[in-house]
Amino acid sequence: MLLEVRDLDVRYGAVHAVRGVSLAVEQGEIVALLGPNGAGKSSILNACLGLAPRSGGSVTFNGAPISRLPTEIIVRRGLTLTPEGRRVFPHLTVMENLKIGAAANAKLRRETAGRVEEMLALFPALTDRRTQLAGTLSGGEQQMLAIARSLMSAPQALLLDEPSLGLAPNIVDQIFDLIAELKRRGVTILLVEQNVELSLAIADRGYLLASGRIALAGTTAELKSTGRLERAYLGIA
Amino acid sequence: MIRFRTVSILATAAAVASMGPTAASAQDVLKIGFAGALTGYLAPYDQPTQQGLELAIDEINKAGGIDGKIKIELTTRDVRSETAQSAVVAQELVDMGINVMIAPCDVDPAVAVGQIAQAANIPTIAPCASTPTLPGIAGPFTFANYTADNLQGTVLADFALEQGYKNALILISRDTPYTEKLPLYFKQVFEAKGGQVPATLEFKMGQQDFSAEVTRIKELNPAPDVIMTAAYEPDFPAFIKQLRSSGINTPVLGSDGIDSPTTLALGEIAEGVVFTNAGFPSEGGPLAKFNAAFTAHFGEEPTSVYPATAYDVIKSIEAAVKATGGNLDGQALRDAIDNLENVPVATGTLTYKGRERVPLRVVALNRIVAGEKTHVADVTPKAADVPAP
Amino acid sequence: MDLFLQQVVNALSLGGTYALLALGLAVVFSVLGLINFAHGELMTLTGYAIFFALAAGLPYPVALVLGVLVATASAVVMERVAFRPLRNSNATVMLLSSFAVAAMLHVLFQNLISARPKAIPAPQFLMRNVEVLGLQIGAVQLVSIAVTAISLLGLTLFLRRSTLGIATRAAASDFNITRLMGINANLVISTAFAISGLLAGIAALLWLFQRGSVDPLMGFLPVLKAFIAAVLGGLGSLSGAVVGGLLLGFIEVGLRAYLPDGMQAYREAIGLTIVIAVLFFYPSGLVPRREAVR
Ligand SMILES: Nc1ncnc2c1ncn2[C@@H]1O[C@H](COP(=O)(O)OP(=O)(O)OP(=O)(O)O)[C@@H](O)[C@H]1O
Ligand SMILES: [Mg+2]
Repeated sequence: MLLEVRDLDVRYGAVHAVRGVSLAVEQGEIVALLGPNGAGKSSILNACLGLAPRSGGSVTFNGAPISRLPTEIIVRRGLTLTPEGRRVFPHLTVMENLKIGAAANAKLRRETAGRVEEMLALFPALTDRRTQLAGTLSGGEQQMLAIARSLMSAPQALLLDEPSLGLAPNIVDQIFDLIAELKRRGVTILLVEQNVELSLAIADRGYLLASGRIALAGTTAELKSTGRLERAYLGIA
Repeated sequence: MIRFRTVSILATAAAVASMGPTAASAQDVLKIGFAGALTGYLAPYDQPTQQGLELAIDEINKAGGIDGKIKIELTTRDVRSETAQSAVVAQELVDMGINVMIAPCDVDPAVAVGQIAQAANIPTIAPCASTPTLPGIAGPFTFANYTADNLQGTVLADFALEQGYKNALILISRDTPYTEKLPLYFKQVFEAKGGQVPATLEFKMGQQDFSAEVTRIKELNPAPDVIMTAAYEPDFPAFIKQLRSSGINTPVLGSDGIDSPTTLALGEIAEGVVFTNAGFPSEGGPLAKFNAAFTAHFGEEPTSVYPATAYDVIKSIEAAVKATGGNLDGQALRDAIDNLENVPVATGTLTYKGRERVPLRVVALNRIVAGEKTHVADVTPKAADVPAP
Repeated sequence: MDLFLQQVVNALSLGGTYALLALGLAVVFSVLGLINFAHGELMTLTGYAIFFALAAGLPYPVALVLGVLVATASAVVMERVAFRPLRNSNATVMLLSSFAVAAMLHVLFQNLISARPKAIPAPQFLMRNVEVLGLQIGAVQLVSIAVTAISLLGLTLFLRRSTLGIATRAAASDFNITRLMGINANLVISTAFAISGLLAGIAALLWLFQRGSVDPLMGFLPVLKAFIAAVLGGLGSLSGAVVGGLLLGFIEVGLRAYLPDGMQAYREAIGLTIVIAVLFFYPSGLVPRREAVR
């Protein structure tokens, strides 16, 4: 297992957002994490990166426990997150956003120029906007930039939190094409999405989260066939 | 004003709380309390004051005490340069049964301390507050010690007229009575004797930047013959630097606030500045002797005159205790201080008799020459020339 | 006219010093959300470092450089000792901690060094008068303006060109996401403090050239002015700090130069009223800190 979450608990004061969740992602897989609003999906991803308060359970990456490490060290080990809502640095230019994505260590910093070109090839929409402030990009462009920025650190595994949120259908398609392309390039992906159909179309396996617990888990084929997915969604939402 | 009211409420409480214990009891220890600012903005004055008190008391005790029998015991408490804290500390000292109180170096806290002590019939001496109205405000048990502002203003005005200056500019700050009133006393005497003061400039203490004021001085027509100010550090060095560097060479008169190493370190900028202070250590004179004793005791030279003036306070108290024949009763001590005449002290002599608790003492005129303080004259102004406080 | 231009130069020189100080406050605030009220004590530390360096016989320029370095290092140490342990508590606790640091340093200076000011001579060439375009300008003022301009330029280059500079700006807008870039949070915060210390040290030099001495309370007033300037410009906004500093310089010099004599006593009050009026029309300052545009 590349990434393994065991018995994870996340609490925000009185709110018990994640209750004993265990999940695993294998090298080279795309795993979808589905569930209604407020189910605790973002909390799980954030807890993996040390950005949400973990009150119990453990996270291992490449066999090593990472749940007590500070965020920046986890990132340097090859696990990163493209957060919900994009969170690009609005007052930095596109170039600066990309550059800072490769600031984690000296080796990456040396390779910055080459990696920037690679990203611009992967996201041609950003090419002409290099000197533009990120805050002035369109929503879709910002999402591309956010993913590109994450990729600048050459992660082994990428956690993607709702990359299609608020985007027009054709842009959503582009994003999903890109995720498929990343898989081809060997990046392992844990994908949080509201778009169940498209997610199951590209994922190898999936988990359904409800009220902070795993309600359902299996291969995409299993999840699609049973019809339990719809019921589980409806039962809660 | 509100401050005064709170103080008098406290003072009343103090009177109620401390009935009795100060009545003269046969003892061979004179207890002196110093409500001093060991920290805060007054610390530059009260810390050296503490040294002067220590030195004087040490000398007297080593010689067996006052009249060879009454030892002095000093208790110092930090008032943190705050008026409210001064009142609290004064009350603590009164409760400890002190015989004489020594107040902090500025008017407001000194008044607070004086009023608390007065409620317990304990005389207070303010070692370095120079505002001549202080004893009047605080009440009949409070005495000034330091060269008063109106004395300095008078001596400076006489000096300016002697030099033939007719047209003076004064630079004042309303932030303290010292920086405001001293130049105004100067103006009063200067004008009464035929000089003119057409321009008054104001500054804010600590403003640092005097460029706007200097540019305005350049504009003045006619240009002033002399500039007089009671500004001190850091304002005085900043002012005179900016004045001189803009090419204005008008003579500058200052007061004892600039009697400090910083002024001397200004180099040629400060050349020729004349200022008053509490005394000049002329060779063989009492102040030179005091400075030598200070250096022997503390291992460093005094950097200000405040140790000397604090020493003066103890000498006045010693003289008063001698005068009462060892009676340490508050009222007796108060009356004795009020009648002191020509007490030999570190800075010359001190006379309280007939002075409404603001002593008459010598004012020294100094001139800065080549980074050194040189003596111009010792002046005791005519009592009639000195403006009423 | 000449005198007017001279007053403009006066305002630029004073405002520039305020700008450097306000910028120091703003850099830290932008990253940590903390107003470091011990900022002024960094200036005082510069003063004492120079005093002791000169007393130890070091050459004057070396003493100045040392003074600035001491402020820079002290700022970094201050963060480690007084703010890092409190980073997870709220901003008010850190603010109180900054007051405590300032108060403790005051007492230490007063008791370990001296409550009396220590003289710091300024080089004699700074006491001259230089003629520029027919204006008589004090050398200190020219140096002030030049040093301010160079410092601002240097800081801008650092923030735009270097990775650490970009990271500092990034941290100012989204601290967690900056860490998500694999950037050491402590390094960024230390950098922000180092910058603020450097600026305080440079401002201290200009301040010391004018006042000629250092005393324990030297830093109190400037940090107050810097705070006003920073609020005027927009708290946490770097360009705002510069604009606020310069504007405060112009307000102060303008009032001192042109308020009639009878009203000079009220000029501090009038100055603050102008500041409040500006804030009434621009509640988040003249150049507010830009919020995320999402
Ligand atoms: N910082 C926080 N403080 C308090 N409660 C929080 C915090 N973050 C999340 N929560 C709560 O935790 C629960 C789970 O939130 P989370 O963001 O993980 O859900 P989600 O599954 O990502 O939802 P969505 O699909 O809407 O993004 C919610 O009830 C939310 O209100
Ligand atoms: Mg979410």
